[in-house]
Amino acid sequence: MYLKKIKNYIQKLKEILLLNSLNNFLTILLISTILILSIQSFNWVIFNSKWSVVTANVPLFAFGTFPEEQRWRPIIWIVSLFLISFLSIIPPKWKWLRKNLLIAWIGTIPLGIFLLYGGLGLQTVMSRNFGGLTLTILLTVFSSIFALPIGIALAFCRQSSLFVVKKLSSIYIDSMRAVPLIAVLFFGQLLIPLFLPLGVEIDRVWRAIFAFTLFVSAYIAEDIRGGLQAIPNTQIESARSLGLNQFQIIRFILIPQSLRIALPALTNQAIGLFQNTSLMSILGLVELLGVGRSILANPKFIGQYIEVYIWLASVYWLICTIMALIAKYVEKRLKIA
Amino acid sequence: MKSYKGIIFQILIFLFFICLFGLLINNLIINLIRTDLGFNFSWLLKPASFALAEHALPYSPSDSYAWALFIGWLNSLKVIFTSLFLSTILGIIIGLSRTSKNIILNILSSFYITIIRQTPLLLQLMFWYFVGFLGLNNNFIYFTNIFKINNKGIEFLGLSLTSEYSALIFGLSVFTSAFIGEVIRGGIVSVSKGQWESFRSLGLSESNGLIKVIIPQALPAIIPGLTSQYLNLAKNSTLAIAIGYSDIYAINDTIINQTGRAIECFIILLLSFLILNLLITNLMETINKLINRKRIYIN
Amino acid sequence: MNTIINVKNISKSYSRGLLALDNVSLKVNQGKVLVIMGPSGSGKSTLIRTFNGLEAFDSGEINILGIKINQYHNERRIQKIRKRVGMVFQQFNLFPHLSILDNITLAPLNVQKRSRVDAEEYGMYLLNQMGISMHAEKYPSQLSGGEQQRVAIARALALKPEVLLFDEPTSALDPERINEVLDVMRKLAQDGMTMVVVTHEINFAKDVSDHILFMDSGKVIETSTPDIFFSNAKHERSRKFLNQLNK
Repeated sequence: MYLKKIKNYIQKLKEILLLNSLNNFLTILLISTILILSIQSFNWVIFNSKWSVVTANVPLFAFGTFPEEQRWRPIIWIVSLFLISFLSIIPPKWKWLRKNLLIAWIGTIPLGIFLLYGGLGLQTVMSRNFGGLTLTILLTVFSSIFALPIGIALAFCRQSSLFVVKKLSSIYIDSMRAVPLIAVLFFGQLLIPLFLPLGVEIDRVWRAIFAFTLFVSAYIAEDIRGGLQAIPNTQIESARSLGLNQFQIIRFILIPQSLRIALPALTNQAIGLFQNTSLMSILGLVELLGVGRSILANPKFIGQYIEVYIWLASVYWLICTIMALIAKYVEKRLKIA
Repeated sequence: MKSYKGIIFQILIFLFFICLFGLLINNLIINLIRTDLGFNFSWLLKPASFALAEHALPYSPSDSYAWALFIGWLNSLKVIFTSLFLSTILGIIIGLSRTSKNIILNILSSFYITIIRQTPLLLQLMFWYFVGFLGLNNNFIYFTNIFKINNKGIEFLGLSLTSEYSALIFGLSVFTSAFIGEVIRGGIVSVSKGQWESFRSLGLSESNGLIKVIIPQALPAIIPGLTSQYLNLAKNSTLAIAIGYSDIYAINDTIINQTGRAIECFIILLLSFLILNLLITNLMETINKLINRKRIYIN
Repeated sequence: MNTIINVKNISKSYSRGLLALDNVSLKVNQGKVLVIMGPSGSGKSTLIRTFNGLEAFDSGEINILGIKINQYHNERRIQKIRKRVGMVFQQFNLFPHLSILDNITLAPLNVQKRSRVDAEEYGMYLLNQMGISMHAEKYPSQLSGGEQQRVAIARALALKPEVLLFDEPTSALDPERINEVLDVMRKLAQDGMTMVVVTHEINFAKDVSDHILFMDSGKVIETSTPDIFFSNAKHERSRKFLNQLNK
């Protein structure tokens, strides 16, 4: 009689375990692998690594070779960027501030130029002393601000009924999207001087900004085109029946709506752009990754790849994740899917 | 009235661009004359005089620039198609893990995706190369003569892959697999919940249902995303220059450094990538058509 | 008389303390038809979906065909139930990428491991019974709503189930199409199938059901036979509901 009870019990156990055996085995395998790896890396991080390579060079990572006593200038600029971003995400109740937000964003460019390059009372700093995270932010922000209006214009050109406009913009967008970024950046550095009249020179940072702008605007144009296509026809019909003309429809309905719908794609572009500034380290600009590489070339820190790369990866990851979280928050507030 | 406006506007735009273009070309010509370069392609037949560490077909420094460029193109293709394959397989694993009921698998894969997508590809490649391969000692993995991994690369079954090539394909594949995983997850998620309930009510097992019901319906949503990721992979392969692999871009770069022929090389590079673009897009179009042949009746 | 379905005190709550199911109990005997009615959000869909494990619950026990499930949601046992209990959904949920015949034979081939010849033969027989055998090679999108729902019923029947669950089977159909489906359901009931049907169709309930269960806010308000329920419901809420339906 007891035998039967035991048999029943084993049968029940079998039922529970058998279906999930593959799952359980996988789980156990994964957990044990994770444990082993974690313990090993923990061990390494605490005992074998020399983090002085990072701690000794933090100013370099942040500002590049910007003169030490002038470092307050990039700091002010970056803080102002934070402020404006904060105000954009959580719009204040003061109406006048909201209206001028756009102007504020555009204003970060002359502000940045003034603070970073100098002139008008501030000591001039050559752009080859721009570096580190400051340069990364500079490239990202300036290129984005320039590329957005160009991208919007391109998107509308592509939808235009005028054949020439449509063809030209399509060719531009499709070519830019077919070509690798590094080629555009490289040829930007190389070819832009060739197209300028004698005596006019553009410094390398601006050539990079120009190249990034050209490249990113094509992608922005495609994202906005997707946004435009998602606007239901009924909206345009209602706008027409209210008597709005073509330009008004574009300005009050198409642009705001397409931007709203394309927001997820656009924020992905921004995050991608931030990461892609690292490509300039191959082309002679010393932004965040470039600082890392030059530090590794220093005989004092030779071979400390792991520490420097992990540090760089963490910085990039942190900033990109913050950008992604902010994007999600804004999308939720605007109630996009 | 309106049609006249339109035509006049177009003509004006056309003229504007012609003028702009003309101005730029004018400057270009002046500068080219100034630097004594001119614009021609005859230099392509001159000997390249630089060596290449990797070449699929025989190459020596006495071969022409044109041949060097071709070898570079082949090197690029080698990397791109291997990575397409690897990244797709990895991406499928990641995508399915992201939608699986196993919590550990789910968390691990989303961890994987977030770390890889939020760090620059260049940094990851450098990690794979400097830390990954060059950091290995001579006998990292040594399995008699069949399978070797060390700082010179990978060797198995008589095939030897350099560390540059290996770092590149692993770096590219891992990076792209995170994006492909998200595309696949997006496709699976787009299938309506009712389909899952249907096959479960019929008693079909999870894996059977996934294969026979969900994935066929997810595929049309997956293919476009997959295509754009493949195109991205092809473009990203140009980062090979950062770790010393001689792909089409790297060789292009070397040639410009040697000959100063920036414009011609730019055109060559542009053409190579347009061709690559067309290749991949057409391949995916064919696959798309094959999948959709059965689906003519589905709305 | 066999009790095929025995539900004992099941409850289910959503995260904010709202109760989807509040201490629900019921019994269904073999060959009988239970109709569940109630306003939307009353939990009737949730209830019927706990029978084949599409919904889990927090406490209580369900005994279907001798197989017991509780809050631990044992997958193995639920799979056993699904092989013997069929379900028809409001949105038909046919597989759009498979032909009608393939829709019907998918489960018999893969779950019951029958031969293709067997499965297709029985499938065609069922389609014939429903009067739609001419559509066997077509795809779901080519059929009307009423036809699709009949395919869905055939698909559930192909496994030769002992119980059939219906979750508002006619709510998504055009009025002209409702009767074709109700007729099929009537015939199934006449042939002795044990059925649980969530529906708003009063006439069907009056004709076919053996018991009515009326739910509101997750609770069972009233259970009675159709004659009592429709003419002289015991509870205020039931009468209110019936009045609204009759308008």
